[in-house]
Amino acid sequence: MMKTNQNSKETYQRFHVLHRILHIVIIFNFTLLAITGFLLHFSGFGWARFLVSIMGGAAAAGWLHRFCAIFLYCGILVHLSWLFYYKFALKKKLSGPDSMLPKKKDIKDLYQNLRYVFNKGTPPLFDRFSYLQKFDYWSELLGMQSMGITGLMMWFPEFFTRIFPGYFINIAGYFHFYEAVLAVMYIGVVHMSDTHLHPDIFPMEKSIFTGKIEKERFMEDHPGEWERQQMIRTNQTDQ
Amino acid sequence: MQTGTNRKKIKFKTGWIGPLLTAGCVLLAMTWFSNALARTGTAPLSTWFVQMDQYAGAAHGTLKCEECHGPMTGNSKSHPDPEAVDFLKTQTKRNFDYKSCKKCHKSAHERFQKGEHATAAVKQRADGKPSKTGFAPTCGDCHSAHYSKSHRTKAVIGKEMTQTCGACHGDQKESYLANYHGKTAVNLGYEKAAFCTDCHGAHTTISLKDQEVVLNACKRCHSDATPEFANIIIHDSTKNPDLKNDIKRSGLKWVHIMAALSLTFVVLVLTFFYMHTGLMILRKLHEKLRRHK
Repeated sequence: MMKTNQNSKETYQRFHVLHRILHIVIIFNFTLLAITGFLLHFSGFGWARFLVSIMGGAAAAGWLHRFCAIFLYCGILVHLSWLFYYKFALKKKLSGPDSMLPKKKDIKDLYQNLRYVFNKGTPPLFDRFSYLQKFDYWSELLGMQSMGITGLMMWFPEFFTRIFPGYFINIAGYFHFYEAVLAVMYIGVVHMSDTHLHPDIFPMEKSIFTGKIEKERFMEDHPGEWERQQMIRTNQTDQ
Repeated sequence: MQTGTNRKKIKFKTGWIGPLLTAGCVLLAMTWFSNALARTGTAPLSTWFVQMDQYAGAAHGTLKCEECHGPMTGNSKSHPDPEAVDFLKTQTKRNFDYKSCKKCHKSAHERFQKGEHATAAVKQRADGKPSKTGFAPTCGDCHSAHYSKSHRTKAVIGKEMTQTCGACHGDQKESYLANYHGKTAVNLGYEKAAFCTDCHGAHTTISLKDQEVVLNACKRCHSDATPEFANIIIHDSTKNPDLKNDIKRSGLKWVHIMAALSLTFVVLVLTFFYMHTGLMILRKLHEKLRRHK
């Protein structure tokens, strides 16, 4: 990891530019998907009717929803192809302490964190990603698959009723809606609070946009990774 | 040093709060207004006393009274005495014979005769037993002969139709409006989506229980529909189970089980993570305040 000096504050590179771009793609599409989807669902209310008419009616809002869904899924495909590139072209490991893969340590960290909340111990020493960040990542990656499938079922019911019984389309509708509620209420409250509402970070955590993290935050939030990097650095200077 | 930069940031933020709040208020006001506009009343029903200003602008406005009602003096009927004390209290009853609608609306009348409303009406009149919502309707129960307007858009007719049909079929109206068809068609005025008569037929008003009949209705818009497509449940309600065929009834059971399961899952996941996040923020605030002491 590169050490860079910016305004006399020591910062470290945390996110690759591709991941920063993909995060913005997700923000943009997720927001538009949530707005258009919930407006269509709650179209019985006057305000929803008004906002849909601004977008150009039910058909336009529906197509905007589908467009954003495809755009978002393209982002996921780019991410997956980057994983292949990372593993097979750059020959780097996808597992290990820096990875997104869930580990036993995450369960331990959760337990330790809950103990810490009730003043029964010290906070856990997170690696590159905390268990909550890993949950964010996996719920996004896997949630998009089921949102995609249920969405496609409602988009092409003629095709999917050739495979499934008819009432599966109704079930898909319920799953799609409840998962949307879950996603919006999770991202809007848990993800936002976890990143931005930390008293030392408030009002805004910018590292996913700038790609840089301050030394202080790095040491406090990701002590596991920090320790390992210090060791690598000392090894390099020894040689 | 750090507090200085923080204050600067907050100042920059407060500058935007005023315009943002104003924009929000304007948007709210506009949505409120559009909400008021969306509540359009339905046309008044025909009574004895015809409001001529509205009648003149309606679809039948060019017809003379006698063209439908027949000559007043011809068949020994007498007009109520306008000078009588109880004239305005006269019971307005409709004993008009709707067979005369046939003179102009021939195909509509034929379709109505074939349909389920007409069959039910004949049976109910013969038995003398009306259903919960009264005798099955004839022309005038759904159409206002004096005030119906012509040349309206499909969306406007459809919206009114949902009210008209919903007056007797309230549960069906509710479940239709909860479905994607009803939401886009009635709520958002999307004319390609199906209104009541697009599936149940104008004037024939058939209950879509038989799978083949359903499939025919679906195919009017979904040309690639297969027999299984007809098993998608549109009126997603358990209120009138005997109106559904067996396949849909058993499907509906699973739909509601899965919906309840997914709702439970959402509630459980959110409860856990909300508690987790709330406690964590409190703990971190506590830590920070203790450091400042």
